[in-house]
Amino acid sequence: MSGHDHHDPGFIRKYVFSVDHKVIGIQYTVTSLLFLFLGFALMMIMRAQLAYPKADFSFLENIFGEAGFVGGTMLPEFYNQLGAMHGTIMVFLGVVPLAVGGFGNYVMPLQIGAPDMAFPKLNMASYWVYFTGGVVMICSFFVEGGAAQYGWTSYPPLANTQPHLIGQTMWLVGMVFLITSSLLGSVNFIVTIVQLRVKGLTFFRLPFFVWAQFITSFLLLLAFPPLEAAGVLQLMDRVAGTSFFMPDGLIISGSPAVNAGGGNPLLWQHLFWFLAHPEVYVLILPAMGIVGEIVANNTRKPLWGYRSLVYSVIFLGFMSFIVWAHHMFMTGMGQSMSIFFQTTTMIISIPSVIILTALILSLWGGSIRFNTPMLFALSFLPMFAIGGLTGLPLGLAASDIQLHDTYYVIGHFHFVVAPGTLMALFAGVYFWYPKVTGRMMNSALGKLHWIGTLVFLNGVFIPMFVQGMAGVSRRLYDQTHYEHGQAVQEWTIASSWSAWLLGIAQIPFILNFFMSFFAGKKVDQNPWKATTLEWAAPSPPPHGNFATEPEVYRGPYEYSVPGASDDYSPQFVK
Amino acid sequence: MEESIYGWWLPIDISVNGHKVDLLIDMLHWFMVVIFVGWAIFFTYCLVRFRAREGHKASYETIKAKPSKYAEIFVVIFEVVLLFGLSIPTFGASRTDFPAEGDDRVEIHVVAEQFQWNVHYPGADGKFGSTSPKLVDSENLVGLDHSDPAAADDFVTAGIMHIPVDTPVVIRLTSKDVIHSFFIPIMRVKQDAIPGMAIPMQFEATRVGEYSKAIACAQLCGNNHFTMSGDLFVDTQEDYDAWLAEMASGGDEEEEEEEE
Amino acid sequence: MNSRRIAALTVVFAFAGSGFFAEALADGATIKGKISWNGKPFKAKRYAMNAQCKGLHEKAGQKVPRKEKTVTNENGTTKNVFMYIKNAPKGDYPTPNAPVVLDQIGCTYVPHVFGVMAGQGILIKNSDEVSHNVHAVPNARLGKNKEFNKSQPRKGLETTESFKRAEIGVKFKCDVHPWMSARCHVMDHPFFDTTGDDGTFEITGLPPGTYSVVAWHEKHGETTVEVTVAQDETKEADLTLSRKGWAE
Repeated sequence: MSGHDHHDPGFIRKYVFSVDHKVIGIQYTVTSLLFLFLGFALMMIMRAQLAYPKADFSFLENIFGEAGFVGGTMLPEFYNQLGAMHGTIMVFLGVVPLAVGGFGNYVMPLQIGAPDMAFPKLNMASYWVYFTGGVVMICSFFVEGGAAQYGWTSYPPLANTQPHLIGQTMWLVGMVFLITSSLLGSVNFIVTIVQLRVKGLTFFRLPFFVWAQFITSFLLLLAFPPLEAAGVLQLMDRVAGTSFFMPDGLIISGSPAVNAGGGNPLLWQHLFWFLAHPEVYVLILPAMGIVGEIVANNTRKPLWGYRSLVYSVIFLGFMSFIVWAHHMFMTGMGQSMSIFFQTTTMIISIPSVIILTALILSLWGGSIRFNTPMLFALSFLPMFAIGGLTGLPLGLAASDIQLHDTYYVIGHFHFVVAPGTLMALFAGVYFWYPKVTGRMMNSALGKLHWIGTLVFLNGVFIPMFVQGMAGVSRRLYDQTHYEHGQAVQEWTIASSWSAWLLGIAQIPFILNFFMSFFAGKKVDQNPWKATTLEWAAPSPPPHGNFATEPEVYRGPYEYSVPGASDDYSPQFVK
Repeated sequence: MEESIYGWWLPIDISVNGHKVDLLIDMLHWFMVVIFVGWAIFFTYCLVRFRAREGHKASYETIKAKPSKYAEIFVVIFEVVLLFGLSIPTFGASRTDFPAEGDDRVEIHVVAEQFQWNVHYPGADGKFGSTSPKLVDSENLVGLDHSDPAAADDFVTAGIMHIPVDTPVVIRLTSKDVIHSFFIPIMRVKQDAIPGMAIPMQFEATRVGEYSKAIACAQLCGNNHFTMSGDLFVDTQEDYDAWLAEMASGGDEEEEEEEE
Repeated sequence: MNSRRIAALTVVFAFAGSGFFAEALADGATIKGKISWNGKPFKAKRYAMNAQCKGLHEKAGQKVPRKEKTVTNENGTTKNVFMYIKNAPKGDYPTPNAPVVLDQIGCTYVPHVFGVMAGQGILIKNSDEVSHNVHAVPNARLGKNKEFNKSQPRKGLETTESFKRAEIGVKFKCDVHPWMSARCHVMDHPFFDTTGDDGTFEITGLPPGTYSVVAWHEKHGETTVEVTVAQDETKEADLTLSRKGWAE
């Protein structure tokens, strides 16, 4: 770290309560990777119960104690905690903080040539509020009755039952923290992108990743407040005796619910999905951005249809606010409302198809380098295609009758966020690791990680489509209770084994991530021969990022320009 | 029954309207296969043909992709056709085209609770007795008001639903506590049961049989969500009438418990 | 697990009625009696069980049992009446180490009505080949005791719970089988008993004094009689219940 100013801020201010966007980005990345592994670990325990629902899990009982197990049997309440917290952790503590907080924070200011975020202290606050929210969520496992157990969607009145269990209350408090953190972050991102672009960097010279972060920030800013409101309302229902979500005449466990009256359970669903549908795009847009960067860099040619990509992302962001009720076709929705939401859902599929097509067409005429980040980025394309296509039968209300709330839904959205987004995030880690550390990650270990991850992710999620087709409901502790569950139990077992093997497949990544930090090959500032501004800064960039403020002379993906001496013409070279 | 009910694809369909749902699902999946295979072939071709190698250079110019435009237009047209041709009419019919009262139809009330489908039949008079949440207890699960004359012959089963074959069934679905979802995979029907709301749904069975645990709960409703199944019996009209008569008499030597 | 099972068995033998307390607090006064049934024996409807639970009874060659709020015994008495002393002398009564057993058999709770001392364990067992979920719902308005909700997805599983404070009529229900219910009376003294198949009760070990003896019935509520006992005296207190309720 050279180029420091005069005073040394000390370890705590430099690495813990740092206001440097890069340190905060690394904090976000490391924290969210840990949460991803935690969420994954919860899922591996669930998969044990799913595959072998009648087995003796004494070895797990020895670890987790009597709160979740009796006589070697996993209790449904424990299983439900795992399920609810897996979803919550993966979405709100894992993927979003990694995609936005981690990559966004680290890469975006560099890509626009800024010395830091517009509001560095706000940035720091955003991370520590997120951290607090995460701590609250983790702590909820250790209170009496355990963590939240009503699904990551926390539908009331179910989530309002058992007010004596504080796990759900802590979940709500945790969510309020996480949402606040996202709001602080998104304001900062928007202002930074609008205000701090260097000279010459017009909006249509922005790298696609920055566009993706820009739209994502608007989604976070506009979609999260309704959920924050809803979370506070549910919190009041639990602790203050209000009844926003409980109707008259509610009988819980054979007794009239004490405070129920005048509320409506569907209100929660509208508020929740008004966030949670844009949230899907919060998960996917940064991933598309990362893939766009890596595809352009490794095909050595400009992205196909840069402008149509940008317009598609803007349109996608806008449309994502008016499709939410397609999660609610089975709530007794009438025909006119269902027509509206089916139509908007079909419309939103079009920009997704355009983006995917543009990324695939970008391959045509390229000179494709198959390095580790590119392998992950390329895998994103077919995986996201499966995720997107399987959304169609769920977006059309008639086929949704059969498939709603079955494993088909789980297969669908996991294909979008796990083999989809996660592949892109891994690609991003491999791609920007040399920028962050000044060292390359090992290529052999990276490719091993890639092939294992690709194969086993498919092994985990493809069986879910079969289960869903057979009619198996989601969130079942033991699907063999049903005959249609027994008919596809082999697939469940295959899925579980894939999940455990997927866990093993992550070992090369973990080794690579830590070992390369010390033993990776040292690199200069632009090891991938890339064109965007982050590669103008030293690796790793010092405090303040650039020795001299760069200037931008051209678009983001000027590769293989005819007449140029190299096959890449960086934005920052005149 | 030779053919197995459940397998690795959609289960058998024993309903009058389910084939439209099946048709839509099948068409969508063929469409997915066509699109995906098309994409995948192009994708693989690109990866092989444009791999980096000695003497190969990337071109700055992007292709004018007419085929991709056609593909996108094809996708749009296909979606429009399925949306307006199949999905909207099918879903709409399931919401609006109810057999009118007085027609030949069977009406049943289903009251969901953790973790059971209480099936409330009106008895011989065809009239449902009034219910009230205040009257609910462990021996009166739907809160039937026994002072109402219409309630005298009503009866409630625990997750056991008998319906006559080839007769439209209208269910008025509600819930006492949390949100459940009434799902009969072989009937291609699903409807959330939401406390505070009474939602009608309908179906018509075409095949007699005993379908054990054919009724599932599709919405997480608590610890024992997974056990919240119900048994479906599709009877001939005679068998159905006989079952109704048996239930109405309340068994041979039973005596009514008094209510005050 | 094994030691628990042995303990449970021990309790079954040792805890017949209130004999346990009679030994613990020997040489006191005794109030005993029976709860008669006036009128035609009450025959309740049978439980409307689901197919799984019906199957359990069919397999055992039995009919589905009748509902248990009001049960008249063959000898013309009433079962499931809980008898307790309302104005028991304040004291530091030892809590029995052995728990009360609440079994789930044939998708019903056995016993249907029972008493337990505050702090004493309640050993809840699943003896059925189906999943049960015991859910105790103390009166939330009183706020004395904590609700609990434990699933027992398999036969042979056991769990032990207890209540901290005295409370009459804590509801137990099975969330899987909504018709299943039991009533638990939590006492801060050992002077209580529940009528069984012979309709009798016996409260022993009382110091001399005048007591309000309360009879509690799930459907007909409570009635109270005053009984005065001298040192080591035994007095009878018979009560009568009918369809109309407690006889005056």
